[in-house]
Amino acid sequence: MQRITSSVDVKSQEFRLNELHNRQLAAELKERQRAARFSRPERDLERLRRQNKLFVRDRIEALLDPETPFLELSTLAANKAYDGEVPSAAQVVGIGMVVGREVIIHADDASVKGGAWYPLSVKKIVRALDVAIENRLPVVHLCDCAGGFLPLQAEFFADRYHAGRIFRNQSILSKMGVPQVSIVMGHCTAGGAFVPALSDYNIIVEGTGAIFLGGPPVVKAATGETVSVEELGGAHMHTNVSGTSDYIASSEMHAIAIARDIVARFHRPEKVSIDRATPEPPAYDASELYGLIPKDARVQFDMREIIARLVDGSRFHEYKPRYGESLVCGFAQLHGYQIGILANNGVLVNDSALKGAHFIQLCDKSRTPLLFLQNITGFMVGREYERRGITKDGAKLIMAVSGASVPKFTVVCNGSHGAGTYAMAGRAFDPRFMFTWPQSQISAMGAEQAVGVLTHVKARQLAREGGRLPEQELVAIREPILEDYRERSSAYYATSEIWDDGILDPIDTRNALAIVLSASLNAPIEAPHYGVFRM
Amino acid sequence: MRKLSFDTVLIANRGEIAVRIIKTLRKLGIRSAIVYHDVDARTPAVLMADKAIAISGRTPISAYLDSAQIIAAARNANAGALHPGYGFLSENAEFARAVMKAGIAFIGPTPESIELMGDKIRARNFVKRNGFSVAPSAIEEDDPATFVSRARCIGAPLLVKPSAGGGGKGMRIVRKLDTLGDAIAQARSEGLRYFGDGRLYVERYVENPRHIEVQVLGDAFGNVVHLLERECSVQRRFQKIIEETPSPALSPGLRKQICETAAGIARAANYRNAGTVEFIFGGGEFYFLEMNTRLQVEHPVTEMVSGIDLVAEQVYLAAGCELGFSQSDIMSKGHAIEVRLCAEAPERGYAPTTGKILVLEYPDGDGLRIDSGILQGQQITAAFDPMIAKIIVHSPTRIEAALKAHRAVAELVLLGCETNASFLGRILADEAFLSGHVHTGYLDENPHIAAGNSASDLSAFLATAALLTRPIRESADAVPELHANLGCWRN
Amino acid sequence: MNHSFEVDGVDFQLWLSPCQQGYRLRLHDKVIAPIAFSHQADSRGVLTIAGQREPVRYAIDGEMLHVRIRGRTCILRYCDPLRTLASTNQEAGHLVARAPMPGVVVKTNVSPGQPVSAGMELMTIESMKLETVIRSPQDGAVDRIHFNEGESFERDAVLVTLSEERR
Repeated sequence: MQRITSSVDVKSQEFRLNELHNRQLAAELKERQRAARFSRPERDLERLRRQNKLFVRDRIEALLDPETPFLELSTLAANKAYDGEVPSAAQVVGIGMVVGREVIIHADDASVKGGAWYPLSVKKIVRALDVAIENRLPVVHLCDCAGGFLPLQAEFFADRYHAGRIFRNQSILSKMGVPQVSIVMGHCTAGGAFVPALSDYNIIVEGTGAIFLGGPPVVKAATGETVSVEELGGAHMHTNVSGTSDYIASSEMHAIAIARDIVARFHRPEKVSIDRATPEPPAYDASELYGLIPKDARVQFDMREIIARLVDGSRFHEYKPRYGESLVCGFAQLHGYQIGILANNGVLVNDSALKGAHFIQLCDKSRTPLLFLQNITGFMVGREYERRGITKDGAKLIMAVSGASVPKFTVVCNGSHGAGTYAMAGRAFDPRFMFTWPQSQISAMGAEQAVGVLTHVKARQLAREGGRLPEQELVAIREPILEDYRERSSAYYATSEIWDDGILDPIDTRNALAIVLSASLNAPIEAPHYGVFRM
Repeated sequence: MRKLSFDTVLIANRGEIAVRIIKTLRKLGIRSAIVYHDVDARTPAVLMADKAIAISGRTPISAYLDSAQIIAAARNANAGALHPGYGFLSENAEFARAVMKAGIAFIGPTPESIELMGDKIRARNFVKRNGFSVAPSAIEEDDPATFVSRARCIGAPLLVKPSAGGGGKGMRIVRKLDTLGDAIAQARSEGLRYFGDGRLYVERYVENPRHIEVQVLGDAFGNVVHLLERECSVQRRFQKIIEETPSPALSPGLRKQICETAAGIARAANYRNAGTVEFIFGGGEFYFLEMNTRLQVEHPVTEMVSGIDLVAEQVYLAAGCELGFSQSDIMSKGHAIEVRLCAEAPERGYAPTTGKILVLEYPDGDGLRIDSGILQGQQITAAFDPMIAKIIVHSPTRIEAALKAHRAVAELVLLGCETNASFLGRILADEAFLSGHVHTGYLDENPHIAAGNSASDLSAFLATAALLTRPIRESADAVPELHANLGCWRN
Repeated sequence: MNHSFEVDGVDFQLWLSPCQQGYRLRLHDKVIAPIAFSHQADSRGVLTIAGQREPVRYAIDGEMLHVRIRGRTCILRYCDPLRTLASTNQEAGHLVARAPMPGVVVKTNVSPGQPVSAGMELMTIESMKLETVIRSPQDGAVDRIHFNEGESFERDAVLVTLSEERR
């Protein structure tokens, strides 16, 4: 495989300005993540100490194998919701190593609203369990949840992907033979009570852990019965009497030790064997990514430069380099894993769509996972392209993307707009994991065009009514529209809504992809089969 | 050729000394019988003896102190003689008398000698009467009512000792007179338990003295010889740790003087069999401390330099034979050092240690002798004295002997029970020891020797332990290569 | 969760992970790599650490590892987290008097059920030829006496269990 030769001048003014800008963005991301993870009012931390509970981050660190990575997913979920008062949607989710097993860790964060479930908390948990199902990853639940946040119940209770889906997914996991362990480290009330109950194994911490469908106040209101937490659903009752819990632990650390002992017994599934070479770092430093990503989102850049800073030895076997040049396709290795890469180098046209559909089928046949690197404004429009069947060819690409059996991974490197979002394995196309870089914009249409369209519509409306919009007023209505549009197409908004699995600092992308690649291979890969390609 | 009147000897002891006695008996063609408490059933002495007879007691120690059971065992084994070893009943005149009454030869001095010389108080009076110097003292028996006030009159520092026994058992130093009462009570309680005798005496404690003792042998025909001196100044809590001969502290003139004094005392006492006269030596002066009317733990250093088997001599003398040599036949060649290997942790205040001996390998080589009472697989309990073996070296010079002993201690492999081996190594490499400048307070003044280097790097040990511990290795092996390479990466 | 060993009462946390030429050991903030151990005959092996080959003698007895390197022997206790973490609260409500060193019970001064106050003599033990008095760590009542007179015990053995309340 040939090594990509970078043609970027790392000493240029442009590179340096980009670098400065993107380093600032990365620093801002890290700061927001740090705050979401650790910044809590002292009274909440004090309450945990009083209750003899560890902070959720300390629980997770104790659970994990030291000296192994933890890829946290959706750290900034809910960062734009609930006035920013529910950091990480009060949930910590990630992929980590427990006794050498790749597992999903799902932990309620009792330092945020007592671990109450908000609508986005539910979405995050459902997604965590979807990840577990898709990749057959065992789950360790660290339960400490006061129940759903009732004022917002309409947004998380009844629908298909609302809270019921958590329990449905747990049951499906169990049915698939993918084990789950819960540690009850606080109260598990109402729906929360089912998380440990539906886990194959559960451990309850003496003194602090309790499980009940209705807590003492609910019982008092419903039946007039006065009952203590311990009597109603304490560790001793559930391990000695009800059998709802399997193991009693004298402390959280003891519970974690028991959980690790249980995970150590898990059958280690045979991973799908895909071609694997000896890993090699890229020939170009990953930190150069900061200088490559243009400060101005509208400036085009060569995705090969990005690929050169992600893959082993910066080696890339490009497929059909001279055909459909706006979609770069080719093979590379990432931490030794053979992957197929599809990366945008411009708007999608007929040739590039056909090339992409063909390349996906090649990868699918050869059990090669797919990496989509998005920087796409959409498909080409216009009479010429429609006549050449751009919709038909786009449909072929979407058919191939949807039907591919190999694991797909998507990274939104810059823009993700229009049908291009779909054709490049957007969220709706079930990539196993999807990550976003901080400056990315995700929307049906680019902000400038969209705002142009919106102001145009507004102007036409006025024209019909006989009025005419003075240039000044046009600018006045344009600005708030643009502002709002930008806000809602930002990476932070996307991740807040859990449209992705998290924003990545670009330099973390290689390791994150390696971890999810490895995780994805726990699930078998079906034989390739597709729907009907419109010819 | 001296003839023996018996063909079986009962050993009323255990551990290394029992093994050592059996070895000589074998050499002499005599059958060995031994008594043992159940906790010692699988020790080398019991396995080596021609006959082993179980005895019992409320505690293991009490079994070895039960003269009736032991004499019955000797009869049962048809033993013509009994060797008491050291400790236990070895200096109990009543026992010696009972043994003789049973028609069994007691391998040791006469009961009268034990009574006279084995009793510190009587021995002191006797020695003083015969014109040898002793330290100021107060003897309880003289007048129990005034004992404490007489003790106070001597002035601090004082040493409180049980009248019977030795080996440091029950001894207490009193530096402040207001603690005298407590020291007396504790010493009495321990004296009663160890020797069945609560009588005490108090003497002036001499600071920084050296402990020098002289081996003597006497026969029934009035012949007494000395086998030169041993120095046993390296002590902890009155327990000897390292013994050597010749003493680096004595000039030839002083050596002659001290050895002849010892022989003179033994002769005056009409002493028979093996005994040791102990002296306090300090500031060029020595005076009588006590006499041990038995074989000493440290007797092998004398054997190494003199070539004389002291146990064999004891057996012949007990059989009524005449001494096989005269004073002029006794030559000392080279230098011998003995170190006592103990199941104890000097680093933790000499706390006794216990455990099963999992691996045991003694060094070997020329001029190296191991007197061991333990076997691989044996459980070390706290029921007895913590000494488990002695390493004795013999070299032409003191410095060579010290080096050889140091190497032997370093080569010794004993796993399963913590020992004082590295502590012994630290002494043998210590400047003061190597230059011969030690006294009985040497270890107290140099606590770093006992403490060791606790801050030393344990990385190699922890690495080995980690690699040898299955759950640790399994958890390491379980981590896929990718994740191991990524280390504790966080996004 | 780290592994831990106890050496002379000091806890050492560590983690072993695989690396290219064997294993890497993390000890507090120190990393030692590569390390490897090759077994030879019974109880013998060679530790490779920091490029050096160290002959090792070792013996394993349950959780106790006896390791001898360069003439120095070290006893390490592997602290199984399931056991060590479980026991933290086990004796809550029950106080114990433990043996400071191995020895033999000489005399028991109290009997079960008897109220005791802090500092009161519970037992006299004999060790190192010296008698040591075991005293009550605080007020309470004697719950159980674990050894009879004449019986021997190991270091850290529970000699007397006390309950907090006076009965």
